[in-house]
Amino acid sequence: MRATPADRTQTTSTPYLICALAWFLPGAGHFWLGRRQKGIVFLVALSLMFAFGLWLQGRLFPFEITQPLVALMAVADVGVGLPYFVARTAGIGAGDVVAITYEYGNTFIIAAGLLNMLVVLDAFDIAKGRK
Amino acid sequence: MTSHLGLMVIFSLFVSVVFAVLTRDDPREQIKFGARLFGGFIGAGILMGWLLYPLPL
Repeated sequence: MRATPADRTQTTSTPYLICALAWFLPGAGHFWLGRRQKGIVFLVALSLMFAFGLWLQGRLFPFEITQPLVALMAVADVGVGLPYFVARTAGIGAGDVVAITYEYGNTFIIAAGLLNMLVVLDAFDIAKGRK
Repeated sequence: MTSHLGLMVIFSLFVSVVFAVLTRDDPREQIKFGARLFGGFIGAGILMGWLLYPLPL
């Protein structure tokens, strides 16, 4: 759907600030841009997905440049924003490599981060008036 | 919760919801597209499971 004139007036807001907000709190960018239902769905779905991954004994990967795949997974983990930092601060996300659900948990956590990156790009497009 | 099928269903549900809301603006379109995505994920998962069943030969 094309942007309405009302939406276009919002393009004066700095798109990069909206991106930062959208990254930090899933759905916040859409909420700011007036697409509140979408914002709430993203907030609930992505936070739940991330929490589910932690519950399944998934791990929040460290930034280890010497292990490129681990570093990439760490980037994906951080993609979810605030929930990541809350979990880190609370000491959750050590992961249990022998748990039968370990890999499932990692998949949920990584996918939540990557999906939030898509949400950020969508918010950027809306802020630019492309959608 | 250790069921592979159960976890696949939950994962598919989350991804379908996010993609449907991300790519469609009309709520009815979102529901239709989300349901199709969800069905596609589950169907493809089950199909792949059966195709890989005889492996390793």
